[in-house]
Amino acid sequence: MSARGLWTSREWRLVSEHQTPLTSGRRPLIVLALLAVSACSGGPDASDARAAAPITVQIRADPEEAAVYRSLVTAYRDAGGGEVELVTVGRNDHLTRLSTAFASGDAPDVFLINYREYAPLVERGAVHAIGPLLEQEGLDTADYYEEPLRAFTYDDALQCMPQNISSLVVYWNRGLFEQAGVAAPKAGWTWDDFVRTAQALTTGDVQGVGIDPSITRLAPFIWSSGGTIVDDDTTPTRTTLHEPGARAALDAVVDLIGTGATPNKEQLAAQGLPEQFMTARVAMFLSSRVEVPALREQRGLDFDVAALPVMDEPTSVLHSDAYCVATASENKQAAAKFVAYAVGRQGQTITALGGRTVPSLRSVATSPAFLSPTRAPASSQVFLDAIPLLRHTPVTPSWPEVEDVIGTQLQRAFEDGVPLDEVLEEIRTQADPLLRQR
Amino acid sequence: MVALSVVFLAPLAVMVLGSLQRPLQPPPDGLDLWPDAVDWSNYSAVPRFMPLGRLLLNSLLLVVVAVPLTVVVTSMAGLAIVTARGRPRRWLVGVSVLMMLVPAAALWVPRVVLLRGLGLADTPLTVALLALAGTTPFYVLLFALAYSRIPTSLFEAATLEGLSPFAVWRRIALPLARPAAVAVAALSGLYYWSTFMDPLTLVSSPGNWPVALGLRGLSEMEAALYPIYLAAAVVVTAPALLAFGIGQRSFFSSVERP
Repeated sequence: MSARGLWTSREWRLVSEHQTPLTSGRRPLIVLALLAVSACSGGPDASDARAAAPITVQIRADPEEAAVYRSLVTAYRDAGGGEVELVTVGRNDHLTRLSTAFASGDAPDVFLINYREYAPLVERGAVHAIGPLLEQEGLDTADYYEEPLRAFTYDDALQCMPQNISSLVVYWNRGLFEQAGVAAPKAGWTWDDFVRTAQALTTGDVQGVGIDPSITRLAPFIWSSGGTIVDDDTTPTRTTLHEPGARAALDAVVDLIGTGATPNKEQLAAQGLPEQFMTARVAMFLSSRVEVPALREQRGLDFDVAALPVMDEPTSVLHSDAYCVATASENKQAAAKFVAYAVGRQGQTITALGGRTVPSLRSVATSPAFLSPTRAPASSQVFLDAIPLLRHTPVTPSWPEVEDVIGTQLQRAFEDGVPLDEVLEEIRTQADPLLRQR
Repeated sequence: MVALSVVFLAPLAVMVLGSLQRPLQPPPDGLDLWPDAVDWSNYSAVPRFMPLGRLLLNSLLLVVVAVPLTVVVTSMAGLAIVTARGRPRRWLVGVSVLMMLVPAAALWVPRVVLLRGLGLADTPLTVALLALAGTTPFYVLLFALAYSRIPTSLFEAATLEGLSPFAVWRRIALPLARPAAVAVAALSGLYYWSTFMDPLTLVSSPGNWPVALGLRGLSEMEAALYPIYLAAAVVVTAPALLAFGIGQRSFFSSVERP
């Protein structure tokens, strides 16, 4: 399936419509930036050469997503950008390749990374703070949503430039709702509404809801009920999942599992949650925007998204990836030029049409490229409505390991029926020393 | 024996039948083996997701270069162990065993640094350079074990006759250890055909990747497109099976005693 094959002709028209005014509009800024740089060193020819120097960009992407990024690179080249070697690596191998490359001094010029994973690379000095580089390219961060910018700010500097601002939502199967005679979820629905809905949907082979036992799925409920994950979001030293607010949220999830409205361990081992949703075995599941392209490809699946249920206060959790420039890059100017294009209007329109991302650039997020009601989910606005409520998990070097510990232990509680007290104690024993390592 | 064959052939059958399923269908509830309507178009769809021809060529080149090199290096190293005496022999065996205990992940960074320093980090044959180090000490020990069954007096007599160490290896040791050579060739052939971790860390440009790494990327396809991934898996497995089919007569004749 080519990138073009992923989109309708109308969507391609949208991309091309965005290209013309944008290219001409950006030109004066680029010229100004180039003049400013050339005034300092080397003259315009040298600066042009630096901006057009070949770069390598490493992206974590599955094969269909890779097609979207290939389109992005082609569009960049057509818009007068330099040569880009695109390396798309599978989700499981992206960090392995990046870590090896950084350790051996063979890093890609630009790479895309999640905010939960970039802190260790900054600590190692592998990331060049991107703020000043993008300023030279004429990019104004005021045009972008603030929450992902905050998540990618570390040591008081914007380290990487976010390309998306997704959040956790409830995917729901319209057919199964109608079959069970259950009303569609509404914004502001409570946790009790959610549990009742899940129970009403649980009939025969169908389970009401599926929730992965990970902290990124449970964080909004913990925050919603007044709890916290760690003692200090900026410099965490211990986990606080055992404290009353967080504990209440986890108890509520365990109670939901106790009603039998969620898939059991055997069902989860046989098929992942998205696949169970596709086959109408689960009526609702929680995930970020990432599921949309796969769900769109399922013929006959009528699905939509809804806001998360509220325990006490409405919240959601940020899912965001950003482009970083490697410290070791010898072509930082060209790297910044590419990043500015990729997060600019054309670039974000292309990635938004791919379906997986919620654009971090306000003007694209509110454009038909993202909100078009002709392609499911019809309620994409839900992702934008969640933006003012977004919070992010701590940005700290040991967070990936802490997340693993919490996920493994919560799985024991949710799937094996291990008492929550025992699991929370184990989380403190294993995760707290990791947090204090910093 | 037939039952055992069925057990080993089952994954191949699942792969081939899966490659003929129609894509963009909901994931099956169970092991939905037989396709309702055979769909060959999955095979023509594979090149849209990875440059299949180029990656197959890279892999072929890798195997053609790395396998003979591995056999030569490991058979020489094995002979060096067997012809050593006393403490050096024990030391060489000990080092080989020790090297087998080193986790592969610990070698990724030093290898990249070394190859980058030599300017060899980004070619289709970069991974083949591992063959210069024998690929794995296991193959060296395999040769050492095979040589140890040859009477030492034979090597001594050959040396007394004026044969150089190279001639002893070429004219006496290697012909007598043919089963070991065939085994190392088969094992290393499979290794270089299927390795994806070494190229992932060693080879920078996707254009120089072997086909196994391309297939690894396809394994993360959405469930609805899995038949295309399985079609790619059939295409990647077929050359290895074909090679074994052609080479099996000489393989079995070399390992069977006359």
